[in-house]
Parts: sequence; C-alpha cells; structure tokens
Amino acid sequence: MRFAFKELPGATADYRRPVLPVTVEGLPRAPQLCLLDTGTLHNRFGAWVAEAAGIDLAGGHRERIAVGGFTSEARQVSVQLTVADHTWEAPVWFCDPWPLSFHLLGQEGFFRWFDVRIRAARYALDVVPAQ
Amino acid sequence: MNERGRSRWYAPGSMTQVQATIGHRAFDLRTADVERTLRDVLPEPLHDHYVVINRRRFPPKQVVSLITGLDRADFNTHQARQVLRRLGFIVSRRTAPLDPADAKAGPGARASEADALRPFVGQWVAQRGSEVLVAAKRPQDVLAWLERHNQQADAMFRVPVDETDASGMAPG
Repeated sequence: MRFAFKELPGATADYRRPVLPVTVEGLPRAPQLCLLDTGTLHNRFGAWVAEAAGIDLAGGHRERIAVGGFTSEARQVSVQLTVADHTWEAPVWFCDPWPLSFHLLGQEGFFRWFDVRIRAARYALDVVPAQ
Repeated sequence: MNERGRSRWYAPGSMTQVQATIGHRAFDLRTADVERTLRDVLPEPLHDHYVVINRRRFPPKQVVSLITGLDRADFNTHQARQVLRRLGFIVSRRTAPLDPADAKAGPGARASEADALRPFVGQWVAQRGSEVLVAAKRPQDVLAWLERHNQQADAMFRVPVDETDASGMAPG
C-alpha cells in the first residue's frame, strides 16, 4: 500500500507530513489521520475517538503521560484498526486532553505489525502487512 | 428577512438588501442577515453549485431555504443562485475533484491540497480526495455531519495551526 505524505498549509511555506488514514472500529465513515511516530512506543489517540466509537474505556489500564509538551490522562484498550483493506488489533492509549491535530502511531501498536518504508525523498510511504 | 406582499423581482443595484420573490412569496433579504443566519450552520454536501458565505461553501438551496423558511421544492437552484448573487455572494460551480497526490512531486509542485485546507486551519475537517466535505470546530460535529448526510470520508483530522502542531507537539 502506498500513501502520499499529507500536504498541509504553512504560514510561510506549505509542508508535508507522513500520515496514514486509520479506520477505528465503530467509526467507518471517518478514517482518522495518524502521524507515523517512530519515536513513540504506543499508539496515542484522542479520547473523543473512543467516545464516538462506543469503545468502553472503563476497564482500561490507566496512567498519566506526557506527550509533546502536554500531560494527559490515558487509558489503554485493544481495538481493531484498519489501514486500506488490512485490519489488525492493537493496544491504543486514548488520551484526554488531546490537543494535537493527528493521532500517533507507535512501535507496539503499528510498526511491529507492518513493514514500513518511509520514502521521504519522494514524500511517500510504502506500508505492507508483516508476514 | 421579511416576507413581502408583492410578487416581483426587485431591480438589482443594492449589494446589501434585496427584495425578491421566491416560490410565489416576496422577501426582503439582507446580506448581513444571511451571514448571521449561516454563522453556526454546517454546509450540506455540495453537488454542482455552491455559494460562498462566511468563507464556507454552501449549496444555494440550503441557504435560501434557511433564510426564507421555504421548502426546497418551492424553488430551483437557478432561483437560489440568482438571489444570492444579487445579495453580493460569490456563486459558482464545482470543478472535477483532483486526483490523489502524486507522491513524486515535492512541496510546491502541487499546491492545491494545501490551498484547499488553508481556509480551515485550526478546524476539524473530513476530506474525500482533496475536497473538504465538512469543517467544524469540534470533531463530534464532523462525525455527526457524516452520519446525517450518509457521507464517507477518506480522512478526518484537524488542520494544524502550525508546523509544531503537525509534528506531534502541542500547539503553543
């Protein structure tokens, strides 16, 4: 599967970011744009996604985390995620508050499930499910 | 926006106040009233035609129905476009949607997607291709709009306020 980097408007110049549209179970109409973050261990999503999708966070492991300049309360549950036509189940930490524009895909929840080639020079991602 | 007792088109000339007959009923319409009425309304899915109000694109019939209270079956798109143009709004037709990004090109080679997103900086959007289907301040409003109008998006996100926001850092 090949994905183009997302072109975004900048104040002085436009720029592109490596993001993937990920469908969260329960939200089939609105794949969530997620930033590929090779430096993070876990998938981090805004908690509003879980609320909208009807994902119960009550039993999820709970911790306070610091991400990108803010602190947030996170609950971890396993959910089904889909990229294009490939579905996998992975732990997601749903965070509140979540002031970021994108959700984050990390090592345990995303990268270990795929062979990912970031072709930054060509502003493209090649994503293949791991065998 | 008062209904009037006469049934005729008013001579054009005023950009802020128009007297118009729509669906056999006469109305006094003002640009400022239209903008105020549409301020917190999410545009419905666009088909061929649109009108730009408060920097957003609306279907002309949605707007005229809202500002007059008329049923949409009582007037046609041509009438709606005509009255909105007389009120001074830009009315236009959509062009064919752009193809998905050609990843071979670098930044600046295809400015259209960033340009399409520029009016929505800081807002949550649902996109199909490079087209913005809906934009709102809250993600819940975007999801509700997609459900209500039976629309499928390719991607949903908030258009970053700046590059820091797009890098996994909280906006300042």
